[in-house]
Amino acid sequence: MARKRASDFTLLISTILLVFIGIIMVFSSSWPDALHKLKDGYYFLRKQLIASFLGLITLVFFMNFNYKKLNKIALPIFIMSLLSGLLIFTPLGTEFHGAKRWVKVGESFTFMPSDIIKLGAIIYLSSLLAKKKDDIESFWKGIVPSLIIIGLSCGLIFLQRDFSTSFTLALTLLSIMFVAGTKMIYFGGLVPIGVLGVYKAISGEEFRSLRVKAFLDPFEHKLGYGWQAVQSLYALGSGGLFGLGLGKSRQKFFYIPEPYNDFIFSIIGEELGFLGSLTVIMLFLLIIWRGIKIALNIEDLFGCLLASGITALITVQTLIHLAVVTSSVPTTGIPLPLVSYGGTSLILYMGSIGILLNISRHTELDRS
Amino acid sequence: MPAPSNRTKKRLVIIFFVVSFFVFALILRLGYLQIVKGEELKKGALEQWTKGIDIKPKRGVIYDRNGKKMAMSISSYTVWSSPADIKNSKETAKVVAEILDMDEKEIYEKITKQQRVEKIKQWITKEEAVKLRKANLPGIEIIDDNKRHYPYGNFASHIIGFTDIDNNGLYGIEKVYDKYLNGTPGKWIKTTDAKGRQLPYGGEKLYEAEDGLSVVLTLDETIQHFAEKAALESLLKNNAKNVSIIVMEPKSGDVLAMVTKPDYDPNNPREPIDEEIKAQWKDLPHQELEKRWYDMWRNFAINDAYEPGSTFKIITAAAGLEENVTTPKTRFHCGGQIKGIPGANIKCWRWYNPHGSQTFKEGAQNSCNAVFVDVGRKLGSEKMLKYVKAFGFGENTEIDLTGEQAGIVPTNPKNMKEVNLATMSYGHGIAVTPIQLVTAVSAVANGGDLMKPRLVKELIDEDGKVVQSFKSEARRKVISKETSDTLLDILESVVSEGTGKNAYVPGYRIAGKTGTAQKVIDGRYAPGKYIASFVAVAPADDPKVAVLVVVDEPGGASYYGGSTAAPTASEVVEETLKYLDVKPKYTEKEKEELAKTVEVPDVRNKNIVDAGKMLTKLGFKYNTEIPNITEDAIVIDQFPLPGTKVNEGSIVDLYFNEKGKESNEKIMPDLSGKNREEVVKILDGLNVKYNFNGNGIVVDQKPEAGIEIDENITVEVEFSDTKE
Repeated sequence: MARKRASDFTLLISTILLVFIGIIMVFSSSWPDALHKLKDGYYFLRKQLIASFLGLITLVFFMNFNYKKLNKIALPIFIMSLLSGLLIFTPLGTEFHGAKRWVKVGESFTFMPSDIIKLGAIIYLSSLLAKKKDDIESFWKGIVPSLIIIGLSCGLIFLQRDFSTSFTLALTLLSIMFVAGTKMIYFGGLVPIGVLGVYKAISGEEFRSLRVKAFLDPFEHKLGYGWQAVQSLYALGSGGLFGLGLGKSRQKFFYIPEPYNDFIFSIIGEELGFLGSLTVIMLFLLIIWRGIKIALNIEDLFGCLLASGITALITVQTLIHLAVVTSSVPTTGIPLPLVSYGGTSLILYMGSIGILLNISRHTELDRS
Repeated sequence: MPAPSNRTKKRLVIIFFVVSFFVFALILRLGYLQIVKGEELKKGALEQWTKGIDIKPKRGVIYDRNGKKMAMSISSYTVWSSPADIKNSKETAKVVAEILDMDEKEIYEKITKQQRVEKIKQWITKEEAVKLRKANLPGIEIIDDNKRHYPYGNFASHIIGFTDIDNNGLYGIEKVYDKYLNGTPGKWIKTTDAKGRQLPYGGEKLYEAEDGLSVVLTLDETIQHFAEKAALESLLKNNAKNVSIIVMEPKSGDVLAMVTKPDYDPNNPREPIDEEIKAQWKDLPHQELEKRWYDMWRNFAINDAYEPGSTFKIITAAAGLEENVTTPKTRFHCGGQIKGIPGANIKCWRWYNPHGSQTFKEGAQNSCNAVFVDVGRKLGSEKMLKYVKAFGFGENTEIDLTGEQAGIVPTNPKNMKEVNLATMSYGHGIAVTPIQLVTAVSAVANGGDLMKPRLVKELIDEDGKVVQSFKSEARRKVISKETSDTLLDILESVVSEGTGKNAYVPGYRIAGKTGTAQKVIDGRYAPGKYIASFVAVAPADDPKVAVLVVVDEPGGASYYGGSTAAPTASEVVEETLKYLDVKPKYTEKEKEELAKTVEVPDVRNKNIVDAGKMLTKLGFKYNTEIPNITEDAIVIDQFPLPGTKVNEGSIVDLYFNEKGKESNEKIMPDLSGKNREEVVKILDGLNVKYNFNGNGIVVDQKPEAGIEIDENITVEVEFSDTKE
């Protein structure tokens, strides 16, 4: 199967469209913040443009980089990613808004190790499960090593007090196990553990339990923990069917804090209306559909699991972001893949899409 | 290379359906939020985006009937702070304290309070405002404001009333006409970000404030001035508790003047005018102080009912004449004691020297109780009470002021004993308010129409256009024209020949009646406390004014209405008639007396001491008009001029070379909105220098309107389009 084919065109176009929408929306929503805090309205736009350019290079690189080679270097990648996560606990770790989640290299380059860990863990778990295809149903040989990988990667992120990201990753990695064929009975066993873990995590930190309380009646806690949820609802509501028009959001003017990050979809809803937000969701659904299609069509288990993992990561993160913005779950900070501001995240997601595209080149896919 | 199993593929399909389900659910949720609940959420969002800033309307002016400003609003400034925005509290406090001449500590406390906004000082001057704006302190804001100003001070203060610090009427016309004076506040709605800064989008809306209407009173500033002066004199001379004077135009019911002394200054309504009282009040607890305030603001003329005494005989006479139970010539007998009234021993006031046989007219001149008791008994309770009520006693006159009393009048003639009827005939055993009495006497004077006292003539807008006018209103016809004429003739004789002699003014036919009654306190007659009154109508043949003077608790040598209230009434009547340009008509007898004239000496070029001595020696009175004059002042002119023949005891007005402190005091007029030509005319009229800046209409002036100025100042005027 060494024949090179064209890659999945729909996936590529959807991705580029989303990145493009992201650049515009980051620019629009970051303008007030950038102007008032940094005295430079184009600050975030510039950084996002640079990141998307780097992202495009990464995408093209991975599109042409045989994914099978990843299988061979899966363990080093995983170890490297874990080590990068540990950098946070060295003097290189940088704090921002009270959370230590960034690593600073040199004067102007910072990155988020949690993004790297996500991809590293997906690659390694896919590789591991592909190799242990026959042991997948065995508890000691299949389940335990998988759970160790999940525990290590998610635990490291959780140590950065980033509950939502570690939850996202856990869900993604469990999806890979699910696709790989882990017996349902084990998932049944994992449910109480997961519920207990979530409960512990929420009751262990006061701000988490307050957020849950505010979620139940955001308007009651409008000035406290319900603020973001209420502001997001106001944004969506005032957008209506057609939106206020591109650039015309009012909620981005300090009502929604950092609207270019975890609440970018609120601004999309406000400026572009229900029709605009529906378009964005549809683009994501296209990517998910193509991702699963690629996983179905590849005749290589590693490729299949890797495609599933990448798609799962994008899916889980998108769904949580949408759920938070529509106040369907308690408020938590999850950026929208490919759209939200954030260099590390954008480059890695575009790289992941590149991997997906490369996998698609090894399938008998209908590439319309 | 292991291939994916079928289970894997199956599970991938399951995942796709599960994800699609979630995506679909989220789309539904999004649609519900954006479309179904959109309007509701948008409302909440709009609420937090928009901030309304109130724009205060300018409060209307209160004018007298001739257009003099009795109450007006002048531009002022108020300093606010928003503590959250203040950068350096210490430094800010220091600068503000320096500019406003306030305590630094006090300001520091205010600007560090946990408040969104805190008022630092209301009504600062323009200069202070300019300095503060220049200092450009973050968190300190200067807001345009209006301050109520009463240019005449404690003048008609019971009528005009006053406002609170936010320009809401609290008392008097300011309260009763508050809704007209106030206008409609405007609003400036703008969209702001979460920190209150304006958003770059339009959507700004300005609802202009509608300025208040101005009230034109029936009051005449000049007549009010006569009344104020006379009341104050009477208060001091008689050492009285209160003196009230009401001047009414009988035909229209217009209140031309109404004063109760002592009074207060509406510019500072909570501070007594008298320095001594001010000192006494200093340490009073708030509750006690509040009581004193209300006492000070009490308008005796409408808020208190008193026993009218003999002035009420006018009503008895009117009823008797109208019902034909007596004519002016009907004879009556006074034997001192009044007999035949069960359970009472009533005497004429001159029981020790009875009036004997007299006509009704003579009885009125003598104010003989026996005559009026007889008239009252001939009328009977029912008719008597009918007239008392018809004249408006026992009910509110509905004058446009607050707290009017209805007085005390028997409700049903059946409840009246004979003794009640007898005492009522000469004004005892009932209680009336001064405004009721003067309104009733006006009805006697105008041919029998009981008018509704009118205090407000019309409401006008900014351009002087009449928006609403209030017509004079006759409530009912009480007596016939004939009765009115007959009674005026009798009352005129009371002044010319009877107990009202002290109200006599040569050349004017004055009709009047005295009244003296013991005060009733807590239902008992209070020993040694009297209310002396005099009611006058002039000229008797064509009444122009009805004047009532009520002296409450005169503490001087005399407490009789004839000697305390009548001279005051005569003074007001004379001055008012002269002002109204009613020419005196002298009788033969008066002409004869007037013929006894003397020549006015020449006192010009003498100093005040010598001039005064000379005039006094020759039996003249003199008037200097200027307070605070020094002994060295030289008379530069006099009126009448030397050689003029005048009556003995006439007054000579003297004019001096020195300018007294108040002689050249002027009030800076409001120039805003006027054009250059108008401004030149006004300022030339004031004889002041001026500097102009720009063209168009006036937008700013210095000094501000309402400020006292003299001829030495230069007025700075800024016009709308300033071209440097």
